[in-house]
Amino acid sequence: MSRVAVGEVDGIKDLRRNAVRRVVVKYGAITLTNLQNQLAYVWDAVGRSIFIVLILYIFVQLWSSVYASRGGGEIAGLSLTMTIWYFLFAEMIELGKFRHDQQISDEVKNGTIAYALTRPYHYLIYHFFNGLGETLVKMVLILLLGLPIVWWSVGFPSIAWTTLPAVVLVLLLALVLDFVMASSIGLLAFVTEDTFSFRLIYQKLIFILGGLLIPIDFLPEWLQWIARILPFSQVTYAPAKLFVAFSASQFWQVLATQIFWIVVLGCSLRRQYRWSIRRLEVNGG
Amino acid sequence: MHERDSVEAAVVVSGLEKRFQLKQKAAGLVGSVRSLWQPVTKEVEAVRDISFRLDVGEVLAFIGPNGAGKSTTIKMLTGILHPSGGQATVLGLTPWRDRRQLAFQIGSVFGQKPQLWYHLPPEDTFRLFSRIYELDADVYKRRYDFLVESFQLAHLLQTPVRKLSLGQRMKCEIAASLLHSPKVIFLDEPTIGLDVVAKQQIREAIRLFNEEEQTTIFLTSHDAGDIEILCKRVIIINHGRIIFDDRTSMLKRQYLTRKVIDVRFGEALDEPFRLAGVETVKQGEYGLKLEFDSQAVAVGDVVQRVMATKPCNDINIADPPLEEVIRAIYAE
Repeated sequence: MSRVAVGEVDGIKDLRRNAVRRVVVKYGAITLTNLQNQLAYVWDAVGRSIFIVLILYIFVQLWSSVYASRGGGEIAGLSLTMTIWYFLFAEMIELGKFRHDQQISDEVKNGTIAYALTRPYHYLIYHFFNGLGETLVKMVLILLLGLPIVWWSVGFPSIAWTTLPAVVLVLLLALVLDFVMASSIGLLAFVTEDTFSFRLIYQKLIFILGGLLIPIDFLPEWLQWIARILPFSQVTYAPAKLFVAFSASQFWQVLATQIFWIVVLGCSLRRQYRWSIRRLEVNGG
Repeated sequence: MHERDSVEAAVVVSGLEKRFQLKQKAAGLVGSVRSLWQPVTKEVEAVRDISFRLDVGEVLAFIGPNGAGKSTTIKMLTGILHPSGGQATVLGLTPWRDRRQLAFQIGSVFGQKPQLWYHLPPEDTFRLFSRIYELDADVYKRRYDFLVESFQLAHLLQTPVRKLSLGQRMKCEIAASLLHSPKVIFLDEPTIGLDVVAKQQIREAIRLFNEEEQTTIFLTSHDAGDIEILCKRVIIINHGRIIFDDRTSMLKRQYLTRKVIDVRFGEALDEPFRLAGVETVKQGEYGLKLEFDSQAVAVGDVVQRVMATKPCNDINIADPPLEEVIRAIYAE
């Protein structure tokens, strides 16, 4: 890790630059460490990811027959191939993403969160980057395991490779959004003894309104409209749909919606976090 | 507070207090419902009026029975808890206000809460810490080499933590907490669950870096051996108050004045040893074990009497074990 000698460049600007790099290195290191952690017992992760194979098989059977009963073609603009690939992508996010609500909830209850305060990092930011490493590994695994089935049953979808960077960006923002929501739920552990019911509700909301049950495009108009506005669809549906059926206008719309919700819910999370820490400082949690 | 004092002192605590509001829940269903409508809270004083001062490089044993207010005090000193009253500074900073800044200068090892990643070799956690604490690469390397050498960790660092023994793990934990050269370190039960050999190693390591780096150490331990070997000073806290704050040697001298004398004679004893105020614990043909209160009977008198009995080959005068001393104090 090379470092520009302070004396060579303008004092404050260089210090600021170094500080930024140090912070990036700091949190990047956390991501890497958890990534290594995952790889340390990779067979365990593989075992857990085998689940996707089962799910996909069921989906393929189900939707194949649905499409067949309608004589093939498209439903709401999605072909069978696109629908299956949509599910693969959506499930990759849903099953691969780190369960921040669970983790934070546990740490509040067993007091680990208090000790994290003595370390020179921000608790939430630490957790986001920590989860990122794990999420990355899990998603790759799911993709690798699910690819064979999907390819064997419906082949490849028509994807323009140039759209992938945009899709990755939306995917990243989706993870940030999920983090913000899940953390808020996890922090509820300061208020209620058990956050299990809240976590369950959150999971179901993502499931239904996030297009994991069926693609939102297949829902009645009014429900589609509601789902698209709410943040839940931005976590799984939006990235997956963009992957299989990219359009520039869709992309900008999704981006705007994601950023909107991240900012709004992010502010709320910040307030909640501050309140929670205050509570910890006074009451010992 | 004098300016000069604050510079040389590592920790200054004055009138520290902490009160908690505990929710009371009455028993039974009616009680539970009632506590929903009208929550009753009881105020608990965990820490009342604690004051002390730690100089740089001191090794302090901070002990007390469970529930005495130890961890509450430590949490306030590390910035986790806000006190209800009083003041404290650690390295010139107010822990609960300057927590983030202080975090770079203090270290902590909580015996019950490990910081090393379980499935990874300690080396990986070390590297992570170097990034978290924003250490330069060369500083880290030097530090790393120094710690590996001092704690003899060379053969341990590549092995996943889950495969290490408890003693090896603790050594690595302590080393990890020292990577960023903290000026003050809080060790909470570092030798808990360790066997004699491992305890010895840990104590040696702690003693070493205290000497080399003048690290101020705040040690909590239920193990009297730790206290005896490492700490020159002891603070005992009970019911939220300090009940003893002095040198470890004073602890024994002040609190338990019983002495035990063990003698081996060159000639056989022909009659039972008797001396007023002295209890003959055991008498054999060539040996004698006596116990007495040194405030009632002067040690010198007893020794003189013993030496006059028969020629002595070996004589041992011992203090009661620290365990007993501490137990006696807790009982107060």
